[in-house]
Amino acid sequence: MPIHEEHLIRPENLSTHDDLIIDGIDVSGHWSTFIESRVVTDYNEAIEEEISNLPGGEFIHRCWQCGSCTNSCTVNAVNPEFNPRYWIYLIRMGMESELLRDKDIIWQCVSCNKCTYACPRDVFPEGVMKATAHWLELKGHTPKSPSTIFDEIFTGQVVETGKIEEGRILRSFFKRTGQSLMQDWVITMVQRMIARLPVKMLFALGWGGVFKPRTSQWARARSAINEYIVEKEEDHRQALGLDDLVDLAKQELSPGETRPAD
Amino acid sequence: MSKPVLIVGGGPAGLAAAHSLATIGQKSILVEKEDILGGAPILSGYARLVPSNEWAKDAIGGMVERVENNKLVTVKTGTKVDEFSGKPGNFSAKLSDGKTVKAAASILCTGFTHFDSVNKPEWGFGTFENVVTTTQVEQMISTGQGVRCPSDGRKPKRVAILLCVGSRDRQIGREWCSKICCTVSANLAMEIREELEDCHVYIYYMDIRTFGLYETAYYWRSQEEFKVKYIKSRIAEVTQKDDKLIVKGEDTLVKRPITIPFDMVVHAIGMDPNVDNMLISSIFGVDLEPHGFLGKGNAYGEIGATSRPGVFVAGAATSPESIDDSIAQGHAAAMSAFALAQGPSKVAAE
Repeated sequence: MPIHEEHLIRPENLSTHDDLIIDGIDVSGHWSTFIESRVVTDYNEAIEEEISNLPGGEFIHRCWQCGSCTNSCTVNAVNPEFNPRYWIYLIRMGMESELLRDKDIIWQCVSCNKCTYACPRDVFPEGVMKATAHWLELKGHTPKSPSTIFDEIFTGQVVETGKIEEGRILRSFFKRTGQSLMQDWVITMVQRMIARLPVKMLFALGWGGVFKPRTSQWARARSAINEYIVEKEEDHRQALGLDDLVDLAKQELSPGETRPAD
Repeated sequence: MSKPVLIVGGGPAGLAAAHSLATIGQKSILVEKEDILGGAPILSGYARLVPSNEWAKDAIGGMVERVENNKLVTVKTGTKVDEFSGKPGNFSAKLSDGKTVKAAASILCTGFTHFDSVNKPEWGFGTFENVVTTTQVEQMISTGQGVRCPSDGRKPKRVAILLCVGSRDRQIGREWCSKICCTVSANLAMEIREELEDCHVYIYYMDIRTFGLYETAYYWRSQEEFKVKYIKSRIAEVTQKDDKLIVKGEDTLVKRPITIPFDMVVHAIGMDPNVDNMLISSIFGVDLEPHGFLGKGNAYGEIGATSRPGVFVAGAATSPESIDDSIAQGHAAAMSAFALAQGPSKVAAE
């Protein structure tokens, strides 16, 4: 039996059974197509609280759904499914399952901040997008995005050593994201660098990779920065009802590796 | 000695008119059918008023006192006008206490009637104890009792305020916007959030009409400081399951039906024409406008004019009106009545 206006129903809400018996009655065949209810049966008031406790999400409660953010959105112009206005509403009303349907595109915000300037209520939608992506990761709904992993490695290295070694960041990043170091663009870049002989830089890269230089007397700064980061991370995780705090600085170290004396 | 002005109704508009006339030395007779002055804010026990945030009993109470203590105002409570005749400058009114008074002019400040929510049975008022009106919530606050579920006195954890109950609804013959319910509801939502910190307040609306400067002080503030949530939806029905009210409707922004449990549902009731308007219309010989309020002339000639010369109108008798505007209209209508009371010779001489 054809379903009237089938295009209005999400495919996942349709279920067909070739062989179904309900209350002893065989309802197999075309009767066994069921449309799942799309009724919202409750608001989960925790979600707005949680996201407003993450950096960028503080002003989400100001939204009155005018749509200026979506209208001005760079990503929405390319992908109409990317709708900040809608997600802000879902978060405010606690419609978690609806929000999770879009979990794999929310991170795509390019932070152009056009919405920030368009918003008449200073909701800072760009910040809300960041906070939401962060929330999805912390809650385990999405894996860490490559940019989150990059941030962690970068921050971890700065906190650990007080220095940035590009070569090491690149290698750690490739390693954690499962990418080969022998990528075409990397090879081309290194070849050209060799051709133009920035000997000193290449040497520094190699040296940094092998000896892991660090800023002298860094221990005090590191412990202060680390303390701050841990405190913030703890706040965020607590707001989301999570535990298991991660020591960000330690992420720079490989498993089993210990921190050398300063 | 000029004849007095007959003011009908002792609410904000009538009190303002009497005070204005007394200020310029003009006598008036203030007739009020209830036993006390003050009108809806006092009789219905409103809490804090918009936009002054003063308690109704202080703000309107002060106006009552000012009029009651003025020798130029003759207050007649528990009294109605039974008959009214005569011409501008020379009217005669027979009152329900048997007395007949002469008046130069009359100002009708007969106000409105709160919409009776029983007329929207699908929203559960009169069926479920925890469905209440904005007036009842005002009373919970003004009496100091606090916002509680009437069924068992518990503090509600989740409250829904339904806007446009008895307004903008052709089904029940009420096509007008009652003008102040959005602002009053935003104000009540903030009061609820202030008293009960862990109570979430949702406002279901068709449009938000917190006009003029109320936008920031009520609509924005309720969202930004008090985290009140606004959902664009006209509720279909309210039912009950155990101790929860089940609110059904469509969340228009997600295009999905909603069936949400609440502890308390508040009807933001609108302003009906005074139930006595047909009677008032026939006694005073003034026309009603199409919605049933007292008809009003344009604002460019005589302020507060009705279809009958010498009979003026002010406040919510003539359309849904805020307290501040009712007071302003009372003062303005007093000017029109004063001109008549002073007599045509004096007007011509100046």
